[in-house]
Amino acid sequence: MITRRGFLAATAFVVSVPMPVSAAARDLRPNVFVRLTSDGEITVTVPRPDTGQGARTAAVLLVAEELSVDPDRVVVEQAPGDTAKYGPQMVAGSSSVQQMFQPLRTAGATARCLLVAAAAARWGVPSGECQARDGFVVHPSRGRLAYADLVADAAAIDPASVPVTLKPPREWRVLGRPRVRVDVHDVTSGKAKFGIDVSEPRTAVAVVARPPWLGATVASIDDAAARAVEGVVAVVPLDSAGVAVVANRTAAALAGRAALRVTWTGGNTAADSRDWLTELGQALPAPPTAPGTVALQATYRLPLLAHAPMEPHNATASLTADGKLTVWAPTQDPGGTRERLAQILRLPLGDVSVFATLAGGGFGRRAEFDVVLEAVTCSRAVQRPVKVLWTRDDDMRHDSYRPMSVHRLSAVVGPTGLPTWRSHEVATWPLTVVPFFNDPALVRASGDHFPYRVPGEVSIALRPAPLRTGFWRAVYAGQFGYAEECFLSALAARAKIDQVAFRQRLLPPDSRLVPLLRQAARAHCRPGHHRGVACHVDYDSAIAVVADVGVRAGRPTVERVTAAVDVGVAVHPSGVRAQVEGGVMDAVSTVLGAQITVREGRVVESSFRDYRWARIDEAPDIDVIIAASDRPPGGLGELAYPPAAAAIASAVASATGRAVTGMPVTGEVG
Amino acid sequence: MVAVGWTSKKFSGLNDSRKVHVAMHRLRVNGIEYDVDVPGGTPLLWALRDELGLTGAKYGCGIGACGACTSLVDDRAVRTCVSTVAEQAGRRVTTVEGLPVDHPVRRAWIAMDVAQCGYCQPGQMMAAVHLLRSNPDPTDAQIDEALRDNVCRCGTYHRIRAAVRLAARLGREAAE
Repeated sequence: MITRRGFLAATAFVVSVPMPVSAAARDLRPNVFVRLTSDGEITVTVPRPDTGQGARTAAVLLVAEELSVDPDRVVVEQAPGDTAKYGPQMVAGSSSVQQMFQPLRTAGATARCLLVAAAAARWGVPSGECQARDGFVVHPSRGRLAYADLVADAAAIDPASVPVTLKPPREWRVLGRPRVRVDVHDVTSGKAKFGIDVSEPRTAVAVVARPPWLGATVASIDDAAARAVEGVVAVVPLDSAGVAVVANRTAAALAGRAALRVTWTGGNTAADSRDWLTELGQALPAPPTAPGTVALQATYRLPLLAHAPMEPHNATASLTADGKLTVWAPTQDPGGTRERLAQILRLPLGDVSVFATLAGGGFGRRAEFDVVLEAVTCSRAVQRPVKVLWTRDDDMRHDSYRPMSVHRLSAVVGPTGLPTWRSHEVATWPLTVVPFFNDPALVRASGDHFPYRVPGEVSIALRPAPLRTGFWRAVYAGQFGYAEECFLSALAARAKIDQVAFRQRLLPPDSRLVPLLRQAARAHCRPGHHRGVACHVDYDSAIAVVADVGVRAGRPTVERVTAAVDVGVAVHPSGVRAQVEGGVMDAVSTVLGAQITVREGRVVESSFRDYRWARIDEAPDIDVIIAASDRPPGGLGELAYPPAAAAIASAVASATGRAVTGMPVTGEVG
Repeated sequence: MVAVGWTSKKFSGLNDSRKVHVAMHRLRVNGIEYDVDVPGGTPLLWALRDELGLTGAKYGCGIGACGACTSLVDDRAVRTCVSTVAEQAGRRVTTVEGLPVDHPVRRAWIAMDVAQCGYCQPGQMMAAVHLLRSNPDPTDAQIDEALRDNVCRCGTYHRIRAAVRLAARLGREAAE
């Protein structure tokens, strides 16, 4: 309902939206990714959000290389959500660099070729005699012209009339070179703007009272005390499962939520995650008939995991009385969010704008837009822009968790000790945030990337998820890969064959993993430590991980991890190493203790006090070897986690003498 | 000092009519004095962020368990999410915005390309500044001890460790 008063209030302010300005005649804008002005400003528009994976840096480097300019001269702009204009924008499937590699280089090369054509025309020489170099077009006898001086001429040329050529890799001066990411100065000065830092005029802040146990709904609300808190402007029931307290300031919203009295009803106050794991164990598919004696069988039980990005979920929405919606959010998917919002709210797509801010981590959770809808509901109710902020407690207890899973693996072994047949039965839950994922074939496609020459079978049983589940870095490969590589390590130990040699004998000779295993093992070589090894192939990339574990004061400690990775062309080597390091630390955390548990219907963990994420004193030295390659980039963000977890768990088993039975390897699972 | 009497204009005209307190607290942040009109029990973090527009200190948990909000108050590293405006009024507050451009910690964080998402890094940096003030040449074990309550979810710890070592060296070189 839009009242006249609301309409006036809502139109009394101007929302500062970076509007796509109609290109000034003198700007060179050959495509949606690159813009040069006659003042010498070069802007790169980055289609993917940056959640820490380095999309902004990669985009700048790809354009700067082909445009022959210093990347430090480039201004970075984040593309608003618009898939028709920018192509797929979702940060998912480790695809950001992979999918930007061709279009962003082509964008830069197009601008370069137009500038060269403009210079050649001005000089009256063939284009082939001119070269683009460091912001100038140069000619052996005519001298040089700055890009800024060529912009107007270049803009007048039809881009389709100029052949566009990409630089051969041997001429690269930017890609693959050491350099720091483009946001370092903003991050280290505190200027970097995340979703939580959005500060549009008149923005109110909302925090939401959420069900204290699974499935509870609101029976009644007593909001007198909450409304009495200074600064609280409204109490807004969101749906049956949340009540928002909206205030002028964050502190008031938090105090208002603390004062709010909600009576909850229904739900499941008996749910216990240990029971869920037991039920999954009972749901395992029957194993197929083995073509011989099963020499080894192992069962692995994996817990719930939360995403817990450092920046808790938040979104700011402004829904004006005339039906224009603007959203600022640390989203992994600005384009998809815009389209879904238009559908759900029945708004014309052109009336919905979604701006992706920097995101303080994502790990899969920010592909969802539930928090955006909450902000829209609040904005509609109070007729102001509203930022909804999830507290850490909300974030941890109301996540879309990685599903629990139980894996049973069996192998028939030949006389050499190598497996000749394998079977892997899995019982797990689908991802409730994407209903179409309720399909064993999709779960298998996500999870099963077994790269070794061992025939066998994988069978999957999906049970209904008892709580919200979603994409968590590596998705099902994090579970399948962990179980498969832990089991392979157990088979190698049983056969008393070196872990690296064992895998090399099982791999096809032309596998990319063969040289990676050799490189990782050689670089890692250090005697006297308990060692784990694991591999993974996914997203057109490959990785081998070697981990050393020691035992300090009775507790396993990861001392050193070496990873050799083949990602094709490493666009930004420091970023490549960072993604592997991140996967390794996720592995340290989840193998040595972090898990989500449910007791009496409530998620127990509510902060980093009890969700045992690794701290700096648990961080091993990490060495990342990047294999030289001229293949186009593969994906990387999710590649390192599964093998790092398996290598660490197997090293712990070697150090403690206790076989791996699940994750974490210490304490009770579930 | 300047800017005494500075107050946020963002919400002028929207003040709640039920306002009951008149409480001005004088905060000294990064060398500037501000008078802020908030209840004394307001966490310093929200005064910095919502009243002064200094968003470098981050909200991560609100219970002092993650370190994302770490700032300096006088010579202590303080979790500003669990420290109130009334407690810290009149003291010398330094947030990441107050670190000089050439501060050894900033230079080291840039040189080591520490950040992934970057959200926790202001808190990590301020914890490192605090450590290096009391211990200009820390061992790895001392770095781990000083920073163990600053969570980084992206897993940049071993770069943080290397950056603190580098900052220590840069600081010593500057002192010589």
